[in-house]
Amino acid sequence: MAEPFDPALYVPQAAAALGLPLAPEDLGDVISAFAVLARVAGPVMAFPLPEELIAAGVFVPNEGTRG
Amino acid sequence: MSVAAGVCATAAAVRTGERSAVEIVREALMRIAVRDGAINAFTTITEERALTAAAMVDAQRAAGRDPGPLAGVPFAVKNLYDIANIATVAGSHIDLDRAPASRDAALVRRLAEHGAVLVGALNMDEYAYGFSTENSHYGATRNPHDPARIAGGSSGGSAAAVAASLVPLTLGSDTNGSIRVPAALCGVFGLRPTFGRLSRAGMRLFAASLDVGGPFARSVEDLAIAYDALQGADPDDPACALCPPEPVMPILRQGFGGIRVAVATGYFSSQGAPDAFAAVERVATALGASQRIELPAAGLARAAAMIVTSVEGAELHLADLIAHAAEFDPMTRARFLAGALVPGAWYAHAQRLRRWYCQELAKLFRDVDVVLAPATPYPAFPIGQVSIELSGQQLPAAGHLGVFTQPLSFAGLPTLAAPVVQAGSLPLGVQIVAAPWREDLVFRVAAAAEELGVLVSSSPIAG
Repeated sequence: MAEPFDPALYVPQAAAALGLPLAPEDLGDVISAFAVLARVAGPVMAFPLPEELIAAGVFVPNEGTRG
Repeated sequence: MSVAAGVCATAAAVRTGERSAVEIVREALMRIAVRDGAINAFTTITEERALTAAAMVDAQRAAGRDPGPLAGVPFAVKNLYDIANIATVAGSHIDLDRAPASRDAALVRRLAEHGAVLVGALNMDEYAYGFSTENSHYGATRNPHDPARIAGGSSGGSAAAVAASLVPLTLGSDTNGSIRVPAALCGVFGLRPTFGRLSRAGMRLFAASLDVGGPFARSVEDLAIAYDALQGADPDDPACALCPPEPVMPILRQGFGGIRVAVATGYFSSQGAPDAFAAVERVATALGASQRIELPAAGLARAAAMIVTSVEGAELHLADLIAHAAEFDPMTRARFLAGALVPGAWYAHAQRLRRWYCQELAKLFRDVDVVLAPATPYPAFPIGQVSIELSGQQLPAAGHLGVFTQPLSFAGLPTLAAPVVQAGSLPLGVQIVAAPWREDLVFRVAAAAEELGVLVSSSPIAG
């Protein structure tokens, strides 16, 4: 069983991993904004998808690169 | 002070020589100078360029050459479209010192090639991340129907400029509803074409897998003639489909006989004020559309759209977020920063869910051709309002504006937002939606509903 998610712990660490400084005055708002994303991501991640379903963002090679 | 004549009427007057393009453009510049102070739609006026271009339109006609189907029509664009020799700020302060654009965006060029005359650039939410155009750097754009209220966003300047009759035609962009929301709240027509229909070359994007450009106007015909001018493949935008233009002007008056129109129910008939649903019902009744249809997993689609948007938007601006986050608008800053921290699996799963959702919608469009849905859950709220109560629940006032637009754009569907006749109250809109690449059906139904008198761009109550 995974531990309950705490955005206040995650946000500063994830920002550090990215090299993204967070000003102290922004931290609370960023945590709140991330908590919203985490809440909406819950049902998205819980929705099972078959392995063969390909992501909607499809790469199209440039025209003119063939031969 | 005159109001702007419509797109078709203006072009017809110039083409027949009844009016000169220079005269029309001078009047538009005068209207903007006198009236935009109260609306704050414009961030840049391109007066010199406009007068030069208008003189060229007049010279073409004088020389016996065709000045184009949009001859002398003044237009303006959301300030994320490149305009030659001007820095494309996309509602930001950070980019004020950006190098000026070397040439116009593709869609700006297309309108100009058809005879239209660019008169300026328009206000928006910073980097298009918002539904209200409450821009802290450039001020809020005010709703011409009530200047104390928002115009909607993020293409708020584009909708307000048309609603206030400053110009008859503008361009905006729509990631999750940024054309449809302000069109509805300002009482004008706005088109989000199928994803990939129009070129985005020379536009500053927000979330590249969702963004499209599109026009605003005050009638279906005006929207159609502009849309036809904007179409065409463009190798400069990798997402722009390699398909020939499919003009809608020739089919606009074919009526809607044989088109199966249904009202979206379930998700699309809750989470909003009663007036928003009543507006959709008025359009359905006028069209005799009694069929009801439930779109699968619309709430899930909206959630996935939020994930995709947050990740793509944040990545695009990551260098600036790292170097100087404090210079971002306080209205967007925390959301951009949070988007940068989203786990990769959330994004990839959301994009795979999008494929599933598109397949489900394709099944739905076997039984129906056009779907009607509310454009927004409520009319424009006062500038500065943070939350709104709906069915006893406190919701983010601006964020919730996209509840009905996000699930549709996530599937890339062509959608026309149209103002529904409202007696003595603030504007509300309906979304007219079809399967991908079926703008023809959307326009035929919109034109029919307009002829039936249920869709109309009303004159602002205020100003």
